[in-house]
Amino acid sequence: MQTAITKEEINAVYPTVAETIADALGCEVAEVKPDASLIEDLGAESIDFLDMVFRLERAFKVKIPRGKIVENARGALSEGEFEHKGIVTDTGLAQLKAYLSEVPAERFRTPLKVKDVPRLFTPETFCKLVITAQRQATAAA
Amino acid sequence: MGDHFSAFSFVDRIHDYIPGARARATFAIPAPLPAFPSCLIAEAVGQLASWIAMAHIEFRGRPVAALALETRFLRDAQPGETLELAVELESCDDDAVAYHGWADIDGARALELIDCLGPMLPLTEFDSPAALRERFGVLCSSGAHEGRFPGIDGFRVEPGALDPGKSATATLHVPDTAPFFRDHFPRRPVFPATLLLNEMIQLALKAERGATDGPLLVPVRMTNVKVRAFTPPGQVLDLHAELVTPNGGMIVASLTARANGRMVATARVDMADR
Repeated sequence: MQTAITKEEINAVYPTVAETIADALGCEVAEVKPDASLIEDLGAESIDFLDMVFRLERAFKVKIPRGKIVENARGALSEGEFEHKGIVTDTGLAQLKAYLSEVPAERFRTPLKVKDVPRLFTPETFCKLVITAQRQATAAA
Repeated sequence: MGDHFSAFSFVDRIHDYIPGARARATFAIPAPLPAFPSCLIAEAVGQLASWIAMAHIEFRGRPVAALALETRFLRDAQPGETLELAVELESCDDDAVAYHGWADIDGARALELIDCLGPMLPLTEFDSPAALRERFGVLCSSGAHEGRFPGIDGFRVEPGALDPGKSATATLHVPDTAPFFRDHFPRRPVFPATLLLNEMIQLALKAERGATDGPLLVPVRMTNVKVRAFTPPGQVLDLHAELVTPNGGMIVASLTARANGRMVATARVDMADR
């Protein structure tokens, strides 16, 4: 069982994550706020997510499973516990709210489609991806 | 077979091949061609990466052009010369291939591709897995016959506004039919991103050349290449090159290509007197 990611851990990686996101999106780093929606506020598309993960892997020398960002947010829940027919379950929503603690409550629309989960992702979400990958690398070593 | 493996294929023979890890290959640039743009050298390196990536996942998927964080143009290639291609895979699975590679000519580095990523898409959408598997066998043994590539023509670039030293625009008319579509790709024709990037670079050079009487600049580095969408036959693309703040003696241009207002590709190019 992994321990919760702390604010200190996020603060440690945030400057590099923000700079990397700005590079990937071609925007100023000042435009990248920790709780901004990458899709709705910063205009990111699916290829930008791929780009951000690719650049973060290089910046932090970690391996981040591509296409597994939603799975990471799902935590220990199984797919069946997290969603039903493409809609996030109540249990899944509670998990998402806990994982995406930086996202304002009003952004969690219900019913929430699984395909819309990436709309919730923020720069802080990517900090958590990096920290999880760093922990896994440390554990493997 | 026709144009398949000829009209837009840039690997003749693969040797020194370690499955899933690395490969070395050659491509002889046909002597009768009038020129061979550097973007096609990048295409050759990318195609070698694509072959070993497809083989690694047993031809379930094929990588498509998406991200190239840095490309260094170090030397032009001339018709009649032979490219010595090299690729090293950094990771490869059914989702994507990450790689870097380079091309040498007569032992001198001509081009480097650094930090490239291609998402994998189902191969059957683009080509015949059986035909590709068979072709890969040929490339890894006797090799393909040289001199197949007939050159590229058939698309028109219409000049647009030119603000010397600042920006330039153009309209690229992708043809409805062309021999390269039958190779790239037989089941789903796509205008090659490297041809698009080549036109975007030419536009940047045009914007820069309009402002100086000094030596002609050449592209030396391309960064942040991101291909966001496929360009089908018949597409009309609006190209824009804008010179931005110089970077360490380089003239830098920001490049975009849009289709009906939607961004298709973005990149930056550094130009200098090589």
